[in-house]
Order: sequence, then structure tokens, then C-alpha cells
Amino acid sequence: MLALPPLAAEPIFNIGSFSVTNTYINSTLTVVLFVIVGFFVKRSIKEVPKGIQNFFESIIELLLGYFDQVTGDRKKSLKFFPLIGSLFLFILVSNWLGILPGVGSIGIHKVIHGELEFIPIFRPANTDLNLTLAMAITGVILSHIIGIFTIGFFKYFNKFIKLADVWHAFKSKKVMTVFTAFVEVGVGFLEIISEVAKMLSLSLRLFGNIFAGEVLLTVLAGIIAYVVPLPFLALELLVGLIQATVFSLLVLTYITVATMPVPEHGGHKKEAH
Amino acid sequence: MHEILQILIPVAHAAESGAADVANDSVTALLGIDWKLFIAQLFNFVIVLFVLWRWVFKPLTSKLEQRSAKIEKSIKEAQEIQEKLKEVEQYKKTEIEKIRGEANEIILKAQKTAESNKEQIISEAKKSAEKVLEQSKKEMQSEKLKLLTEVREEAASLVVLATEKILREKLDPKKDAELIKESLKGLK
Repeated sequence: MLALPPLAAEPIFNIGSFSVTNTYINSTLTVVLFVIVGFFVKRSIKEVPKGIQNFFESIIELLLGYFDQVTGDRKKSLKFFPLIGSLFLFILVSNWLGILPGVGSIGIHKVIHGELEFIPIFRPANTDLNLTLAMAITGVILSHIIGIFTIGFFKYFNKFIKLADVWHAFKSKKVMTVFTAFVEVGVGFLEIISEVAKMLSLSLRLFGNIFAGEVLLTVLAGIIAYVVPLPFLALELLVGLIQATVFSLLVLTYITVATMPVPEHGGHKKEAH
Repeated sequence: MHEILQILIPVAHAAESGAADVANDSVTALLGIDWKLFIAQLFNFVIVLFVLWRWVFKPLTSKLEQRSAKIEKSIKEAQEIQEKLKEVEQYKKTEIEKIRGEANEIILKAQKTAESNKEQIISEAKKSAEKVLEQSKKEMQSEKLKLLTEVREEAASLVVLATEKILREKLDPKKDAELIKESLKGLK
């Protein structure tokens, strides 16, 4: 019997009313890894870099190069780096930890729905929609907060609910302008919907890709356990990197767009008169 | 082929049962969305964010910035030093040129003065030599005159002596004549 991993993460044990799932175990292990590595990096920081500091400096330089292409400004890249870099590294490392042997194969037998089922203790952290959704929501909400702090609350608010545009349109007393203003208001509502869609697409893309990889590897291992899954494992390495890049760069794009100055319709019209 | 089918049939069954679950449960339950897990995972991510931010990114990026600023500064300083060096070199060159010109001038002047001095000295020496020569000529002339007068006086006295001698002997006119001749010969 081939046991495909279900969409939802499986609970392994309970702490009080909180059920610890296998994906949560994985993500916690990743966190522990980061804390340990972070501790060593913090301790080893010197003027002349060596070893682990060199490694992280080169990663930072590499990432900053890519971020500059999105933001177009080294200062901005540095400002957003903690969030985007953390997203990238966390997703990448947890994806790659998910390909380690033992993840998905070490498990326990448990009775579920009256049937004895095999439940793996470790499961790639990003095959849990809770984690991907948590990161996506954090990213999108932070992009809004950064946007508000950069261009001001009212200007930012006007991006979505375009009261100021309508006000300017009525002041100009032109039928066409008023009409465009109402269309703009409709566009504003679409923007709100697209913000929700951003969270969903970000989280579901990451979840879907990693989950599909896990399913693919399980199925392949079920058919032929030797050699054949190897190229697919290599592909999973690539997918893990690509998904981490896509996720972090998309969030960076959202933040960059949110911090862009808003073109002022009202002010523009005033200049035209 | 048959084996693969046998494996894939349960996969299809599993998918079917999953679809049936969708009908029974809500989508969020199927996807395993659970607010407690959500918070827990969020917390995990926040820990990673915090750790990377505080311990890795912040110190490392500031170190990188510091280092690049330092390197930039030292490069700038090196350039400045180079420029200053060039200036000093230029200054040195012009100064040396100037000094060389001055030295040349001094040498020329010295040569000129030396030349003029030489001429003067030579002409003076010539003059004095001429003077000396003239004086010596004069002296010689006077000496000669003196000598001549002395010789004349001597000759005169000798003539007197000779005549006295002749006059004392006075033997025969033949001898007399001979003697006179002889003494006259001695006068010559």
C-alpha cells in the first residue's frame, strides 16, 4: 500500500491542546539550526572575516546584488534585507532539509479513522500551508506597514480607497473626470482583492511546489526505490532554491512597489490647468 | 506495466478519498489550516527573522559597510598622497631648475669677472715688465757710459805712464819710434 502524504500535516503528539505536527517538528529543527548558526556567526564576527563570517558575507553580497536589481537602490536593499534575506534563507534551508534522507521515511504507526497508518515524523516544513501562509501574510502585511511609513498613511490609504481622487474630481466639476474617478475607485477595490490574492498565491505556490515534490518522491520511491529518484532529488534541490528565490523576491517586489511614491492625480490636473 | 498499475490504483483511490474528504470537510481543514499551528509556525518564522536580523545580517552588513567605507577612504587617501607626491616632485623639479639657473648665472658671472681680472692682471704685468726692462736698459746704458769713461781715464793714465817710460829710456830714435809704436798698439 502506497501511503501518499495528505495535504494537511499529521499530528505526531500533543502538548496540552496543541498538537505538534511533523511539519512543525521540521520547521522547529530549522529554527534551532538557525539559532545555533546565528549564535556562532555573532560570536565570530571580526574586522577581518574568516570562515563562517566569510561564507555569510558572500551570501549577503550575492543576495544584495539580486535585491538591487529589484529595488534599484542599495540603501533600499539594505533596509529590506533582514526580512527578505530571512525569508529566503529560512525557506531555502527548510526546503533542503526536507530532501534529507529520513524525512518522510522515519515514522510511527498510528491508528487513524480506525486504520493503522504510517505517519512520518519529519515532513518538509513548507508542505504545511500554515507556515507558508504565515510567511506570506507576514510579508504582505509588513510591505503595507513599510509602505505606510514611507509614503504616509493618507497617501497610502488612497491607493486602495480613492476618496481623495473622487474629492479632486468633484472639485474639478468635469463629468469625465468624475467618471474616471469612479472607475479608479473600482480599481482601488480590485487592489484590495489583489492584496488578499497575493497572500494566497504566495503561500499556495510554495506549499504546492514543495508538496508536489514530496508526493513525486514518495510515488517514485514506491515504484522503484533505487537510482531512479536521484535526478528527481536533484530537481527538488533546484525547486527548493527556485521557490525560495521566487517567494523572497516577490515579497521584495511588493515592498518596493508599496514604497514607491504615488502619482498624484489631483496635483497633476492642477498643474495642467 | 501491471505492477506499476497495481501501485497506481491505490494512488487513484487515495486521491478519490481525498476528494470525498473535501465534500465532508471544509477546505481549510483539508489543507490543515489551524490557527494554533499557524501561530506556532509564525512564531518559528519570527524567531528565525529575529535571529538572522540581530545576530547575522545587522552586524555583518554594518561590518561590510564599514569595511567598504574604510577601503574607499584609504583609496582616496592613497590618491591624495600620490597627488601630493606629484606636487612635491613638481616643486622639486622647478626648484632644482631654478637653482641650476642661478648656479649657471653665478658661474657665468665668475667667469666674466675672472676674465676681466685676468686681462687686467696681464696688462699690469706687461706694463711692469716693460718698466723693469726699460729701467734695466737705462741702467745698462749708464753703466756702459761709466765704464767707457773709466776705460778712457785708464787709457789716458796708461799713455802718460808709457810716455814717461819712453822718455826715461831715450836711447836711440829707432828704439824710441819702436816703443811709441808698441805702446800705441797696447792702447788700441
